[in-house]
Amino acid sequence: MELKTRRMLDRSFTTIGVFAIVLMAVSLVILLQPIVWRGAGAFIFRETVENRKLNLELLGRGSRAKVEIEITETEAARKPVYDMMAAFEAEMEEGGSAFRKQYGREYSELRDMLSELLGPLPGEKNPVLIRAQYGRTRWDRAQVKFHQIRYVEKYDYSDPDRMGVKIEKPRSALFESTSIEPLFGYLEENIEQMMLPKLTFYWRFLFDRSFDAHFFGGIWPEVLGTFYLALGAMLFAVPLGIVTAIYLAEYAGESRFVSLLRTCISSLAGVPSIVFGLFGLAFFINTMKISNGKSVLAGSLTLAFLVLPTVIRASEEAILAVPRTYKEAAMSLGAGKWHTIISVILPAALTGILTSIIISLGRAAGETAPIIFTAAVSVGRPLAIWQTLSQPSPALSWNIYNLATEHEAVDEIRHVQYGMVLTLVAMVLLLNLTAIIIRARISKKLRG
Amino acid sequence: MNDRIYEHTESDLRSRLLMSRGTRRHRRLGALAGDTVLIVIASSSLIALLFIFYFIIKDAIPFFQIEGVREFFTSTRWYPSREDAEFGALSILVGSTLVTTGAVVVAVPMGVLAALCLSDILPFSMRQVVKPVIEMLAAIPSVVYGFFALVVFAPLLQEKGGSLLSVGALIVLVPVSIIGVGVASDLIGARFSEGSRGVARIASAAVLSIAVILVLYQLNRFLGGLRIVSGTNALNASIILGIMALPTVVSVSEDALNAVGRELREGSYALGATRAETLLRVVIPAAKSGILAAVILGVMRAVGETMVVWMASGNAARIPQPIFNYLEPIRTLTATIAGDMGEADHVTGSARYHVLFAMAFCLLVFAFVSNFVSEMILRRSRKQLG
Amino acid sequence: MKGSKLIAMISVFALVGLVVAPGSAVAEERIIIDGSTTVGPIAKAFAEYYMSKNKDVNITVSESGSGNGAKSLINGMCHVADMSRFMKDKEFAAAVKKGRTPVAHVVAIDGIVMVVHPSNPVKGFTVAQVRDIYMGRITNWKDLGGPNVEIVMISRDTNSGTYETFEKLVMKKKKIYEKAEYVGSNGAIRQRVQSTPASIGYIGLGFVDRSVKALEIDGIVPDMNTISSGIYPIARPLFMFTDGYPKLGTHLHRFITLHLSPRGQEIIEEIGFIPVTRY
Repeated sequence: MELKTRRMLDRSFTTIGVFAIVLMAVSLVILLQPIVWRGAGAFIFRETVENRKLNLELLGRGSRAKVEIEITETEAARKPVYDMMAAFEAEMEEGGSAFRKQYGREYSELRDMLSELLGPLPGEKNPVLIRAQYGRTRWDRAQVKFHQIRYVEKYDYSDPDRMGVKIEKPRSALFESTSIEPLFGYLEENIEQMMLPKLTFYWRFLFDRSFDAHFFGGIWPEVLGTFYLALGAMLFAVPLGIVTAIYLAEYAGESRFVSLLRTCISSLAGVPSIVFGLFGLAFFINTMKISNGKSVLAGSLTLAFLVLPTVIRASEEAILAVPRTYKEAAMSLGAGKWHTIISVILPAALTGILTSIIISLGRAAGETAPIIFTAAVSVGRPLAIWQTLSQPSPALSWNIYNLATEHEAVDEIRHVQYGMVLTLVAMVLLLNLTAIIIRARISKKLRG
Repeated sequence: MNDRIYEHTESDLRSRLLMSRGTRRHRRLGALAGDTVLIVIASSSLIALLFIFYFIIKDAIPFFQIEGVREFFTSTRWYPSREDAEFGALSILVGSTLVTTGAVVVAVPMGVLAALCLSDILPFSMRQVVKPVIEMLAAIPSVVYGFFALVVFAPLLQEKGGSLLSVGALIVLVPVSIIGVGVASDLIGARFSEGSRGVARIASAAVLSIAVILVLYQLNRFLGGLRIVSGTNALNASIILGIMALPTVVSVSEDALNAVGRELREGSYALGATRAETLLRVVIPAAKSGILAAVILGVMRAVGETMVVWMASGNAARIPQPIFNYLEPIRTLTATIAGDMGEADHVTGSARYHVLFAMAFCLLVFAFVSNFVSEMILRRSRKQLG
Repeated sequence: MKGSKLIAMISVFALVGLVVAPGSAVAEERIIIDGSTTVGPIAKAFAEYYMSKNKDVNITVSESGSGNGAKSLINGMCHVADMSRFMKDKEFAAAVKKGRTPVAHVVAIDGIVMVVHPSNPVKGFTVAQVRDIYMGRITNWKDLGGPNVEIVMISRDTNSGTYETFEKLVMKKKKIYEKAEYVGSNGAIRQRVQSTPASIGYIGLGFVDRSVKALEIDGIVPDMNTISSGIYPIARPLFMFTDGYPKLGTHLHRFITLHLSPRGQEIIEEIGFIPVTRY
């Protein structure tokens, strides 16, 4: 080949390599961007007056005087709407059956949507479920609802080879020349006065329990559950892992037993997480009966087995990284092997071991499959520490799945799902970041 | 190395150690007992693995006793809930294989290239930036990937599936074909005599590029016209799984590439090879067993993953028609276990409970065997290089 | 040592979590609920309502499928099993063998509603047509008066009572075509249908909202009236099972009879199911 081509090949090879890396970074960005952006929406959003009402009535948060002023303000803005509706209802009453037939269904749909937007209409009895007691509490949801009120979705079926194409028609056309037609124009002009959207920072999202199946409130039980599960797993895995690592690094030679042990460790690392879940169910719950049904304890134990190989490997590396001279110095001073390990090697390897623990902690916090059958439930109170021995708990990872697929109003609570995802990702990435920083400091020190 | 790292001064060490002199004999006895305890604790992972095997096999065997082995591996009829239940898992096995293959196709070329880049191309300072990116990809929990696949990626595939695919194909194929055209025209040119070589090269390059452009255009039109009916399908799961398996592939193959010594590389450079040639002809062949092990580990990660496939693969127990049709939904072993465990009432001793353990057993055997193979490969390559 | 500062910081973080935890509500008694995802919304709403009225009880709800609910009840791992179908003979036998007597409480009535994307022009089917779709005999919307687009069938996972009810009432012993996609819950079906124009799925009445289009079956619109009067062909009761009738006056007893109180009935109606008293 000619030199020019060879050079070109070399250069393009480099480009492709760099391109692969860039692609990887881009996929990370693509993955994280919606999570961060929309996850932040769980914390920072524009709340409507309904949200302030809910906070005051349900939780006693906010200043009563201010909210009451706002309520009278919005009630004044809403009154014309209610009046128009009353007028139209009277018109229907008088209009006879033909009129009622023409507008009956359309009006009841409109009425339903208005009550979803603004909360129960005057004269309606107060519903039991919190989600029905208030109008839209988030301005973005209110705008979606408002859009539905303004426009009717129709479909154009002219193309026989595809499904209908959505066309939006103003809803006001349905009620042309009736007493309710001006309602749409009024809504258009005064929607902000009716809802009073205000930017708010809901930091309590992390520390509130959920109200009404995650329609409102926060994710504290899930955060706490994740916390318990991950910490519990480390409680079991760390001592086992460090002792094993000490054995492998300081005691064992190259015997057959040791190589068997190493194969076992790497096999354990390769066992699919769902198999751990089945094992946890079959062993800890059905056989050992450590708890009557799912419990945080059973989940932690299952997770402990899952992270054990990670802890062992990383701790062994950390121990091996301790300079031999330290050990030799200690030995020459007459210390026993065990004593050397405890008083010299372990303290020196501590930071390294700590990184391994932190990374494993992140891994345990994020796992879902092993806790499906052993620990996770969709609704539960935050547990006190002794209750973890016998009771199951919600956990972030499982509840992300649960809310994203099983909840009855998946779309309404998207922000909660994204908020949970962001919280979990932030938790795990922060742990990893800590580990990376610690490691960087170690290697800096090592390089002097 | 620097002694400042571990800030124990010698006197510090001595003062701690001298205290123990008096009780040395006592300690020796203790050490013996300690050693025994140590070995027992160190065997915990061995014991754990044995327990896992025991408990999975214990509940898997009844299935094969009740239903036999043949139906499970040869039938595609998966109707576990009926009175006349059928437990044909072939389509599920095929589904697992399909997504894994897809994930490998995504992860391996990208992963190996990225590893090459990390070990040989990027300067040290850049490497320090890239490595955390890979670690972050590895650290993100699988349920987050699943959530992304279901909530963001699946609707995107449905709405803009065709154009996404064609853009993806272009991203991959354009650089490949540019290089291909360059090499081919060079080779063709070499066949001509010295004088006409330049003209021949340009002519062949022109002809080839037109051909390639035509092919790409046609392909692009075909892909762009594709309508993806359902966004949760084998393709979605494969791509996301591929990205999840990437960090494993990158870090293991980077280790393998780093293990190839400087001498080999420098020897190759000394003979006048370019960097690309050195990497392709010298470094990769030398590291190939390590890279193979990386691929196997990536495969293991993809096969064993649950949440992504459960949320993004569509869970239809059917072999796609034709079999390489990645746009159809498929069902995998892990998702079946996660999804069906709910109804699998082991109280009534049904085959339905045990069939899930049979699947878990398949997964376990696969993981065990491939882990063993990759260990063997790695050990051998270490011996060769060491 | 600089590292020790870091360690200290991290352990402080860990401790904060442990110390804050016991500060949150301490529940004395607990009720564990497991089972159907269809009954799930009722159970969750009841649980939250009940917990808000009674601070001394912790109610946990898992939604893992009717079969799992039955299993947990039989094994004594839950107090209430939500089920969207009745217990099977085998399950009863197993329960009796373990010394438990499952008692059924019908909490609500539910219809299984066929749903399609709102852009679908099809208005309704007969039961036979639904069966043909799910058997793979009808594969294109044009055979049903729609556009020339392939049908994407979506079914509940085989672990659900909804699936089994559907199999019994609609499929009538015929097998669902293997191309059907399976998803784990009602919510997931609705989500798939609202994002997939060519799809069809079936969900409980309580899960129907404006994002999907409910179809008429045999010319009958599924709503509270047609279902509770038995005109709509695919309807079933939803159950909660307990082990024996709970001791009167206990939390469990008050919880399990919540659906009979006016409040409970309102909750059920607000979620979208039909209270049992509405005949």
